[in-house]
Amino acid sequence: MTKTLMTTVAALALATAAMAEEVRVYNWSDYIDEALLAKFETETGIKLIYDVFDSNEVLETKLLAGGSGYDVVVPTGTFLQRQIAAGAFQKLDKSKLSNYGNVWDVIATRAAKYDAGNEYAINYMWGTTGLGVNVAKVKEILGPDAPIDSLSLVFDPKNAEKLAACGIHMLDAPDEVLPAALKYIGEDPDSADEAVIAKTEAALMAIRPHIQKFNSSEYINALANGDICVAFGWSGDILQARDRAAEAANGVEIAYNAPKEGALMWFDMMAIPVDAPNADAAHKFLNFILDAQNMAAASNYVYYANGNKASQEFLNEDVIGDPAIYPSEAALQNLYTKSPYDAKVQRTVTRLWTKVKSGT
Amino acid sequence: MRKWPLIAVPYLWLLLLFLVPFLIVIKISLSDAALSIPPYTPTLDLAAGWAGLRQFLSELDFENYAFLASDDLYWRAYLSSLQIATVSTVLTLMLGFPIAYGMACAPEEWRPTLMMLVILPFWTSLLIRVYAWMGILSTEGFLNNFLQWLGVIDAPLMILNTQNAVYIGIVYTYLPFMILPIYSALEKLDGSLIEAAEDLGCTRTKAFWLITVPLSRPGIIAGCFLVFIPALGEFVIPSLLGGSETLMIGKVLWEEFFNNRDWPVASAVAVVLLLILIIPIVLFQRNEQKQREAGK
Amino acid sequence: MAVPLFAPWNDPAQKPLIQFKNVTKRFGDFVAIDNQSLDIYTREFFALLGPSGCGKTTMMRMLAGFEQPSEGQILIGGQDMKGVPPNERPVNMMFQSYALFPHLSVYENIAFGLRRMGQPKDQIDARVEEMLRLTRLSKFARRKPHQISGGQRQRVALARSLARAPKLLLLDEPLGALDKKLREETQFELMDIQEKTGTTFVIVTHDQEEAMTVSSRIAVMDEGRIIQVATPSVIYEAPNSVYVADFIGDVTIIEGSVRSVGPVYDIDWAEGQPPLRAASPLALSVGQKCHIAIRPEKVEVHHSRPEDDNALQGRIIDVGYGGNLSTFNIRLANGKFLRAQSFNTERKTKQEFTWEDDVWVSWTDHCAVLLAE
Repeated sequence: MTKTLMTTVAALALATAAMAEEVRVYNWSDYIDEALLAKFETETGIKLIYDVFDSNEVLETKLLAGGSGYDVVVPTGTFLQRQIAAGAFQKLDKSKLSNYGNVWDVIATRAAKYDAGNEYAINYMWGTTGLGVNVAKVKEILGPDAPIDSLSLVFDPKNAEKLAACGIHMLDAPDEVLPAALKYIGEDPDSADEAVIAKTEAALMAIRPHIQKFNSSEYINALANGDICVAFGWSGDILQARDRAAEAANGVEIAYNAPKEGALMWFDMMAIPVDAPNADAAHKFLNFILDAQNMAAASNYVYYANGNKASQEFLNEDVIGDPAIYPSEAALQNLYTKSPYDAKVQRTVTRLWTKVKSGT
Repeated sequence: MRKWPLIAVPYLWLLLLFLVPFLIVIKISLSDAALSIPPYTPTLDLAAGWAGLRQFLSELDFENYAFLASDDLYWRAYLSSLQIATVSTVLTLMLGFPIAYGMACAPEEWRPTLMMLVILPFWTSLLIRVYAWMGILSTEGFLNNFLQWLGVIDAPLMILNTQNAVYIGIVYTYLPFMILPIYSALEKLDGSLIEAAEDLGCTRTKAFWLITVPLSRPGIIAGCFLVFIPALGEFVIPSLLGGSETLMIGKVLWEEFFNNRDWPVASAVAVVLLLILIIPIVLFQRNEQKQREAGK
Repeated sequence: MAVPLFAPWNDPAQKPLIQFKNVTKRFGDFVAIDNQSLDIYTREFFALLGPSGCGKTTMMRMLAGFEQPSEGQILIGGQDMKGVPPNERPVNMMFQSYALFPHLSVYENIAFGLRRMGQPKDQIDARVEEMLRLTRLSKFARRKPHQISGGQRQRVALARSLARAPKLLLLDEPLGALDKKLREETQFELMDIQEKTGTTFVIVTHDQEEAMTVSSRIAVMDEGRIIQVATPSVIYEAPNSVYVADFIGDVTIIEGSVRSVGPVYDIDWAEGQPPLRAASPLALSVGQKCHIAIRPEKVEVHHSRPEDDNALQGRIIDVGYGGNLSTFNIRLANGKFLRAQSFNTERKTKQEFTWEDDVWVSWTDHCAVLLAE
């Protein structure tokens, strides 16, 4: 009896030792080909614990509260910058990232706005913020010349009013909407001047009565079901809505357009928290992601562009060839980025946003 | 002496799960937001001893409360929440009372089944049930499709993303909290009281208003509080079913915490919300106590 | 001055206040009242008496209007009550549980029925005051029902049901919840109030002593049927059946068969024993089975053989000393038991008869009640 117990304990101890190396990844939901996760485990022998979130705010709260227990997290650029400032991340040890040479300099340079010198993070996916359009319905209301690739589709009150009954949704994210509003009224979208930002209030208040809802996730289903006509949202989400509608074969045709006036570019970045329990394994995971074929597999699965130049030769044609995912060289020049607001401006922005949303 | 541990248990519970967290929230509400982990200062450094504690205390202030008072957003959010909670409570009562009454009048052998049906929705997550309502109420949803099919309406009704959807959601979610206490009051009601009232010249309707309603008052009051208190701080329902004009304090709190990353102001909002809630909670307690005394 | 005898039921000129005409009441398959007729007269204090489940409460609830007869007719004051709801009947009821409204004061409880009549306030006040005085509750007017004693609650219930001055007051086990002493006091109070107000009372009770004490007439019920309707003394002294004789008071029932007929019958009742003699207006034939009912107080106990007709020998098995009277349980020669009572009219500490005494018992032929099978 004692002997059996001893062997069991010994076996358990061995098993634990064998499993000791693990890595905990916290990524956006629906944001990876799950086959890659199994592949990582077989290749490295490291146990992968994969967890998902659906808002930057939730991730940020966990990071700022400390002791999240995660080894790899995926914040969006603007959030990343603030979190770096708060001391939430550790610098990457690039000597452990043998695939680092694969990164696409165009994206790395732009992402450096949030992470100077690309010291803390690598780009995972990137995209734009633009217009999701139920083409048939919008053309029925606004005519065949409907400006479906222009900010004026929603920011011009005349258009918004006509589309109101059919339904307009807008991201509930001032960081995304205010730059677009600034762009529409001809100001610098990256302005941090409170006086300039205040100018958007009038523009937004003019269209607000025609906006059915400000939200950051419901518009995917709403678009796909044909409940609404236009959504100002994230490229990937709108493409997802397009695919869902196509799958459902419900006669709804959704198109994504980055506004011709210029579109905001966003970056989802992989970084390692300062208190990551398994920093070494985290680096192995990042290096795995930096592999050209792995990255291509991820993009082929989620229909987002990535920041990996070498991966492009492995991308499917419906990804690399879709200008909604990989814009042309010229269109790429038309994309802009935005710096995060400091605390004081952030409060002004949030307050303005609340005022706009509540309509008073 | 032996009674001590028994008395200590609820107090310990209250201390650990209410008082200590509440003190922490109060403490954060007196701090200042900062870009750090955790995102506020000061934090208590016990290693520094007395001097550290004094330093810590000297850095606390009521700035955030002053800020709440200075911006009318917060007052309007509190008032709008109070209004939404009040209207929802009245609607829930109007719907819940007849249901509870029907249950209490039903044959004895049906009652457990009816009770089960009332409680049944709790077996699924609130989130799933609210999402189901989104499916029902949306422009292309079941309700609109059904009404159009019936020919009652030509164009779909805009229900989702309006205040009406919020009321529907709150009434639906909290209905059991209204039904159960009223049912329990009505079930205890001696049927001969109604007969006595009829015998003394009341019609059925009159007897209902003069006897049934006053005697189920404790249940009505308990039900109203059980709906009003959580509805006041409701967040999930207005954010999923409400439109952009739905202003509720729960959402403002969320924005302070997540969008502004201002934990101290968020904590101040929470403390004020709690103070607002304490008034009905105290009234509720007093009602309960009165009932207990009357029951003796 | 001689008070004229109150007996409207013997006066063909009197019209009954309440008439049950061939009333049947069914609950599903269960027959609660089986084709019964009954007349109750104005100013009567009428008792419906019987064990639980005999249908007495159903009779009362049909009068109040809470139940409708399945067949037959109920008239109150000559008016058919079919379809008349409780609130439109000239009837009030005092509930067994009193059914006082717990959220209203004693005053408001009594005023409740008056307010429904839409009387002016000063008239209501006057009437409530009168009721409070009648039931000696003036001091408690402001109290809530849970702040007064059981006896006081009972009086509130009475005051409330009398306040509207109904033609007919129904009382459902009105004294059931009171202790014995209070019950006895209240019985007389009830009679007093009934007399003062001149209201017709119908009382439902399972307590035969209570029914005997308060009522002008009693209807003894069993299994949905009325067995006998008569004044208390007739019910007691001239029961019409073994059931009634047995239900009311203490009695010894002896089985037998008719040996010879006459105004005074001879009844064979045991082998080797002389027949018992009983005077009866019944028309029985020789050989017919019958019963003799003998009340214990009608039985005399003797040391030696008396001269009476019905004299039997026996032995005292039990003695129950009750202060004013003593009850003996006597085993007769054939092993049957008989109960006898004697009043202790003289003051003595030693009993005349005691355990194991061999005695003689006797009664006159007018004291035994002869009952058909």
